[in-house]
Amino acid sequence: MSKVPNLAIAMVAMLALGACGGGAAGPTALTPVKGGTMTVAVWQEPNTLYPYYATQTVSTLVYEIALEGLVRVTPDGAYQPVLAKEVPTAANGGLKLSPGGQSMDVTYHLKPGLKWADGQPVTSDDIRFTWQAIMKDPKVTTRGGYDQITSIDTPDPVTAVVHYGSIYAAYASRFSSSAGQPILPKHVLEKEADISKSDFVRTPSGTGPFKITEFKSADHITAERNPNYREAGKPYLDRIIFRSVPSREVALAQLKAGEVDAMWNLLEAQLPDIQKQTDIKVRAVTSPSVERLEFNLAKPANPADPNVPHPVLGDVNMRHALVLATPKAELVSKLLFGKATVAQSTLSIGWAAPKDVHQDDYNPTKAKQVLDQAGWVAGSDGIRVKNGVRASLKITTTTGDQIREEIEQVLVDRWRQIGVALEVSNIPSSVLFGSWSANAPRKKGNFDINMYASSPDIDPQETVAQRFACANIPRPENNGAGFNYYRYCDSQTDQLIQQAGSIVDQDKRKQLYSSILKRLNDAQISVWLYNRSSIDAYRSNVGGYKDNGWDNLTWNTEDWFVSKK
Amino acid sequence: MATWTRASATPEAALAELGLPEHASHWRLALERFWAHRLAVASLVILLVLVVLVLLGPVLSPYSPEHTNLDVRYEAPSRAHPMGTDSLGRDLLTRIMFGGRVSLTIGVLAMTVAITLGVVIGGLAGFYGGVPDAVLMRFVDMMLSFPRLFLLILFSVFFGGHFLTVILLLGALSWMGVSRIIRASFLSLKERQFVEAARALAVSNRAIMLRHLLPNALAPIIVAATLGIATAIIAESTLSFLGLGIQPPTPSWGNMLKDAQTDMVTAPWTAVFPGLAIFVTVVAINFIGDGLRDALDPQHVNRSVRR
Amino acid sequence: MSRYASRRLLQALPLLLGISVASFLIINAVPGGPLSAYENAPGVTPLDLQRLEHQLGLDQPLYIRYVSWLTHFLSGDWGYSYATQQPVLAMIRERLPNTLYLMGTVYIVTLLLAIPLGVVTAIRQYSWLDHFFTGLSFAGLSMPTFWLGLLMIIVLGLTLRLFPLGGIGTPGADFNVFDRLWHLALPVATLSFVGIAHYSRYLRASMLETLHQDYMRTARAKGLSHRSAVFHHALKNAALPLVTIAALDLPELFVGALVTEQIFGWPGMGRLFWDSATRSDYPVLMGILAVSSTLIVLANLAADLTYGYLDPRIRYA
Repeated sequence: MSKVPNLAIAMVAMLALGACGGGAAGPTALTPVKGGTMTVAVWQEPNTLYPYYATQTVSTLVYEIALEGLVRVTPDGAYQPVLAKEVPTAANGGLKLSPGGQSMDVTYHLKPGLKWADGQPVTSDDIRFTWQAIMKDPKVTTRGGYDQITSIDTPDPVTAVVHYGSIYAAYASRFSSSAGQPILPKHVLEKEADISKSDFVRTPSGTGPFKITEFKSADHITAERNPNYREAGKPYLDRIIFRSVPSREVALAQLKAGEVDAMWNLLEAQLPDIQKQTDIKVRAVTSPSVERLEFNLAKPANPADPNVPHPVLGDVNMRHALVLATPKAELVSKLLFGKATVAQSTLSIGWAAPKDVHQDDYNPTKAKQVLDQAGWVAGSDGIRVKNGVRASLKITTTTGDQIREEIEQVLVDRWRQIGVALEVSNIPSSVLFGSWSANAPRKKGNFDINMYASSPDIDPQETVAQRFACANIPRPENNGAGFNYYRYCDSQTDQLIQQAGSIVDQDKRKQLYSSILKRLNDAQISVWLYNRSSIDAYRSNVGGYKDNGWDNLTWNTEDWFVSKK
Repeated sequence: MATWTRASATPEAALAELGLPEHASHWRLALERFWAHRLAVASLVILLVLVVLVLLGPVLSPYSPEHTNLDVRYEAPSRAHPMGTDSLGRDLLTRIMFGGRVSLTIGVLAMTVAITLGVVIGGLAGFYGGVPDAVLMRFVDMMLSFPRLFLLILFSVFFGGHFLTVILLLGALSWMGVSRIIRASFLSLKERQFVEAARALAVSNRAIMLRHLLPNALAPIIVAATLGIATAIIAESTLSFLGLGIQPPTPSWGNMLKDAQTDMVTAPWTAVFPGLAIFVTVVAINFIGDGLRDALDPQHVNRSVRR
Repeated sequence: MSRYASRRLLQALPLLLGISVASFLIINAVPGGPLSAYENAPGVTPLDLQRLEHQLGLDQPLYIRYVSWLTHFLSGDWGYSYATQQPVLAMIRERLPNTLYLMGTVYIVTLLLAIPLGVVTAIRQYSWLDHFFTGLSFAGLSMPTFWLGLLMIIVLGLTLRLFPLGGIGTPGADFNVFDRLWHLALPVATLSFVGIAHYSRYLRASMLETLHQDYMRTARAKGLSHRSAVFHHALKNAALPLVTIAALDLPELFVGALVTEQIFGWPGMGRLFWDSATRSDYPVLMGILAVSSTLIVLANLAADLTYGYLDPRIRYA
């Protein structure tokens, strides 16, 4: 569980991934310059800058430069101490299991001399306050893990002992900048009766290299240098401005014209436009987000009964054939301009990502064989039939997403060639990702195939348990709780998942996840299409940025600089 | 200085002006008047050509509208692809022809729904008057008070982007104007003597409405119907542009424009041609509608026939 | 007349109430709900979702939520956005000026150009001027607005680089009147083109009808000059229907052209509606629908009253 072996494995993995945009290197041959302002164009405006209310990536993008956690995740997927002196592990005594093995304590030691942007010292009281703020506020997005904490002791101003009431395997990922869970200033927020009504949600400041000083709606957000930042000589920049632009097209136009220094979140379709320009550099970083085709193993209904199998997708051979009929590599190289990597499972990067789990490549001939052998015979219109059931399926994804629609249409074409009829039926994302009580078809099980992307946390336990454990199939009995939309139920997989969540040995857990993912792929419950990349663009005189798939491009703004042009 | 020609005082004079025998029916008169409206006639020809292209073209095209070829994405117009290719390497001209089938069909059917609803509701309101009129008209007011596009969006999200749904939705939100016209028409017509005569003969209400009032109100209905097709085509294109109408891969002129906003930077032809198809069709329909209005409405200003 | 007005106003209240009920039902019937934003956030557990559902009051029956919304609304509390947690009224107040600014300019430009155009093409019927502008008008009537906008962006923005690609002003620059006008140009041109087409055709038809009336011949016979006859008699009468149309279009000033705002990235009410609709932000949706339906009802009333007032035949009836 120590960092070094994981680092080695991760680095080998990074080399293996090769030149598909997974590089951890930044720009070369530019020396840091002190001072200056950098402008980043964002085509979406954050709804809020309070980390515990935020759901948008762009919110994290902005508040991350001001608010920091005790730890963060580095590009190789390892934890790194930020405000804490070291990452608590069993080896260094930071993690202590109780004698009965039913609970655990995690001890954090703060670095000495830390100060908030207003000069007040950072103490362990702030850590406890953060936990209390999360638990007291009914509006926070997630309490996952924090609801397992029974109390936090602060024996001295730089030590906090967190008492978990159970074995929480993902403990290391709490209070992490990369998870959007930074430490909050007690002295600023304790006087607020309702944080959502305070200025902090618009102009937060913390221990980060910058403090947000101005938020002008639909215009810009200004962040000024934090004079009390813990690293001497940093940040290099005096100011960062996030400029609100109406669309990606305008952002790109501004970047090309040199009116902004960087642009957040391009579309793959915009790449051909910039590739000719030498004064703009594009970074495509593999993120943990995996785009997938989610099969419904149960018969679609409102709500679906997991005991009634899907008339078409209930046959594992049909699912296998569909995997074989999906031209993943071609989609990545042609539609995504090569700026993505083919996915093999739901865990694409990180310490838990298995190297030995694969899904079959595109092989339409084999697909047809599999279907022939399974008894799916082509009818007069070319569509296969078995036991009176026609191989006709519907695919659903979010409206307004060009890449997804293009992929759907390629699938319609290719699957027809193996004798499966596919119909496109898209819905807005608020419907696709909606709630059980609002009759969202994904929750209710009223779909055939869903296409969307999902990213696990740096610690995969929550994701794996929620999505693949039998108990987490949304049902009327549990009020639609759970994310197992596949309606996949396998007792051995359940056992493996339960095990992985009850131990803290990272190596053992990794093996367990490998077994779980292999079982999932054998059951062909999903087509793992590709690992999405975050694509950002910078002018060539900007330096200091480093790719980090686990975080936003602003994870290391203390190193950013703009050299003269 | 303009010459202000006077509307022909009598039907006989109108007929004489057009060189027609005195006993020609008023439909014949209408036809002649339409024929004199040169733009309308030209538009009719254009529209017929378009319809033929849309019906036959797909049969003649060597390409399939749904077959993707990722190696020829975003190709500019060339001999192999007269209108270029789109983001999945599909021939744009073929898709426009197929899309024409979809868009035109939706246009005609949506209009039919709207006209039917409008005639029924407006007719009942105008004929019965009094309380039914007030209730129905308040209902019309309520429908009109909803911002139409907002309702369209909300319902589309709810019911999905299927062929039938789009038609019903578009029809259900555009009948209000027609109903007002029909109501006004019936209100004035029912005071006429021929209605009084029919009542004296104990003709049933339904028969009066269907066999006496409706045929006389046909002129505004025909004009409204024609223009209704144009409106429906544009409405469908707007809906599909927002991603809520006809779903890909089925092409419709509207959903082909959907990705135009991002694609137009690298491949402007994907934005120009589908829109041009809509434009030409709708212009033609509008001119035809204009011609019909001139032809069918005897009270309308009689254009001086220039021969 | 005032009795009629007050009667209509009273009738408007149940109408508005009915609309608000219907809107509420429709919005809530759309599957999905506002929790979708949380669903895909990494790390969110089903427990979190249950808590948030309760927090937003979504686990209560529909009629209770409606009554709650109504009572708050009438007392001035329009609720808080599910997405941004900001007060709905503040959000609307923030966006409304942008829409007003765009649509107001469109409105004025449209009327300023449509009226003379309608009059001139009517007087000079069949001249080359008439044919030219008729052709242009038909073009305007037949184009989907969004296509015209896209074409303008392609030709004037991307190819010729004469105008910006969108937005209300140059991002990052200080307020500058010329910059604002420069950004207004394309969206106003797009919307006005269509508007002028409609209004000028309408006025032209109305003028032609008026010009051919017998009383015009009488006026000329009495020795009135051509110009005087046209302006004092024809135009005044022909403009009446136009006034009602213009009044009916007033709500557009506040509600905005959704698709145009999308294309030009204009931060207005239309955009707010679209964003809220796609993420099921019920409070904001109800707020916007309340505003727009009230305005439409009032505009209808104003149109009827104005027509009634301006037409002496009705006024003195």
